[in-house]
Amino acid sequence: MRILNAVLRTVRNSGRLATGLVILAVMVLLALLSPLIVQWIGGGTDPIEVAAYEKWLVPSGDHVLGTDQFGRDVLAMVLSALSVSLQIGAIAGVISTVVGVVVAFVAGYKGGWIDNVLSTFTGILLVIPTFPLLIALSAYAKNVSLFQVGVMISIFSWPFAAKTIRSQVLSLRSRPYVDLARVSKARDLEIITTELLPNLLPFIGVGFASSALGAIFGLVGLEVIGLGPGGVIDLGQIIFNAINTGALTLGAWPMFVVPIVLLTLLFAALNMINIGLEEVYNPRLRGVAGE
Amino acid sequence: MTAEAPPVVAVDKEEQVSAPRPRVRAWLSRHPLAAYAIRRLGLYVVELWGALTIAFFFFRLMPGDPINTLIQSLQQNYIYNQQASAEIIARYQHEFGLEGNLLSQYLRYMDRLVLHGDLGPSLINYPTPAQDVILRALPWTIGLLGISAVLSWVIGIVVGAIAGWRRGKAGSAIITNLSIALAHVPFFFVALILVYVFAYTLGWLPARSAYDSSISPGLSADFIGSVLKYGLLPGLSIVGIGAMGWILSTRMLMVPVLGEDYLVYAEAKGLKPWRILTRYALRNCYLPQVTAFGISLGFIFNGNVLVEQLFNYPGLGTTLVTAIQQLDFNTILGVTNVAIFSVLTAVLLLDLLLPLLDPRVKYWK
Repeated sequence: MRILNAVLRTVRNSGRLATGLVILAVMVLLALLSPLIVQWIGGGTDPIEVAAYEKWLVPSGDHVLGTDQFGRDVLAMVLSALSVSLQIGAIAGVISTVVGVVVAFVAGYKGGWIDNVLSTFTGILLVIPTFPLLIALSAYAKNVSLFQVGVMISIFSWPFAAKTIRSQVLSLRSRPYVDLARVSKARDLEIITTELLPNLLPFIGVGFASSALGAIFGLVGLEVIGLGPGGVIDLGQIIFNAINTGALTLGAWPMFVVPIVLLTLLFAALNMINIGLEEVYNPRLRGVAGE
Repeated sequence: MTAEAPPVVAVDKEEQVSAPRPRVRAWLSRHPLAAYAIRRLGLYVVELWGALTIAFFFFRLMPGDPINTLIQSLQQNYIYNQQASAEIIARYQHEFGLEGNLLSQYLRYMDRLVLHGDLGPSLINYPTPAQDVILRALPWTIGLLGISAVLSWVIGIVVGAIAGWRRGKAGSAIITNLSIALAHVPFFFVALILVYVFAYTLGWLPARSAYDSSISPGLSADFIGSVLKYGLLPGLSIVGIGAMGWILSTRMLMVPVLGEDYLVYAEAKGLKPWRILTRYALRNCYLPQVTAFGISLGFIFNGNVLVEQLFNYPGLGTTLVTAIQQLDFNTILGVTNVAIFSVLTAVLLLDLLLPLLDPRVKYWK
């Protein structure tokens, strides 16, 4: 209850954080309800089935966003794709945040040679250009599932989370209350979970949001080059289809404008959450990012 | 300074060898900057070696047989009727540095790369060496992304400084919120919308390629004009979003500075606001922004795969995608190495230069 109150107070104090969370919540809700909405659009039949309707219908009352080259309803496709995109963000975000947090705590808390080795390794991974490796990985690993793609993306995104969180661990480690805990013979794991982790939650949140954002864009990038996981349609694949089937020349703008607008909104929401959290937990920045 | 007494005891051979060490250490402690530079250079070498090694093994351990692919493509291209004999395969394996076990491949690869700057032949443009393929794509990437990076930095600093200066005003709030919303949007999205509007719907600008193919490349006004015209859309999409990030960070750096006492003093002295902004406030944002800019310049050698791909721009990104589609290891590794090298070098140069530029930066402590 106390935690809930604290969260509510935080959100109330930062309009930006609140806006970001509301946009994100609406999108998650849309994604969760997408099977129902898709069913309702289809009215008994599957609107995403090939040749469900006529090809390249212009937006009208029946098909708000028109249909694509296979006669699928674009609105229904976009909604279920949104849910896939959010899933990949959640999968990769969770994996890379967990790995990043573990590495950051081991490196930052233990210090010494472990920190040197881990930090150098993280630094090396950070300079290797990730997108080429990701393209290469998925070019060879054909027919992969959504979860596997999430794992692949997290391989390259955890160093970012690790780096941000490690510097926070370093600054927290030497605080008096941590020293006090250490003097009173608390075990390392106890100090980490009860003293350090709660204070780092906002930064872990920022790490999660950034990783999720990177993963969603990573998958969009792969799809645009034509190298996504098989069997599922995410927002990137709709954009890729739009480019490749000539939606640009045919003027079927909803096919790429709507996914782009949705993703832009999502990126904006995640960035607002990032900046909002930083503002709340870093008093020096308070009021800095705009009143 | 209390110098240590020189060893008077009779020394055996082993101690003689290590005798200069205290002197080196003493010299280093008297020259902290040099000690810092040496340590930083050491770290650079370790990171460079580590990154190149990880990249090599990453791509080598990928399944896929490049020799087979090469022979297939040769058969298609030159109507190469005979079946690939063992000798031919062996010759190509030698040429591509693929014979022997992984370790000896690695040693040979490092030897070629470090001592000769040689990446081996490319597949996408066989038998042109991969480094030549890359060097041909490099000017396009540097031109497009380099100019865009400089433009977005300059625009971002100017607009961000003004937005910070006029904080609390409506215009400033709009710009800040707009950049928060758009700073992380991929360039590619904007590029796609711009292409649709200006190339397909209005037909004002070309949608693909880097220059008009009917004009022969050279230093003529026609060719340069054509390059600029073809580069406008990709450049605009990168500058448009890239500037947002700089606006945001400049503003974030500006606002805390504006509350400092020395600014109040400058105002009390009766200095013109413009002078306070440029000479007093903005100056304090230069250092982190120059650092970040240097690093971002290092990253342009990554190419921008998606934007280049959309415009079919002949830069590193497009080269990379073509190379990956044809399993061209040498070119893929080459592009990756260029990116690794430029990012690490940019960071190294900044780390070495900053202590000289700003006396407050004390890395060596």
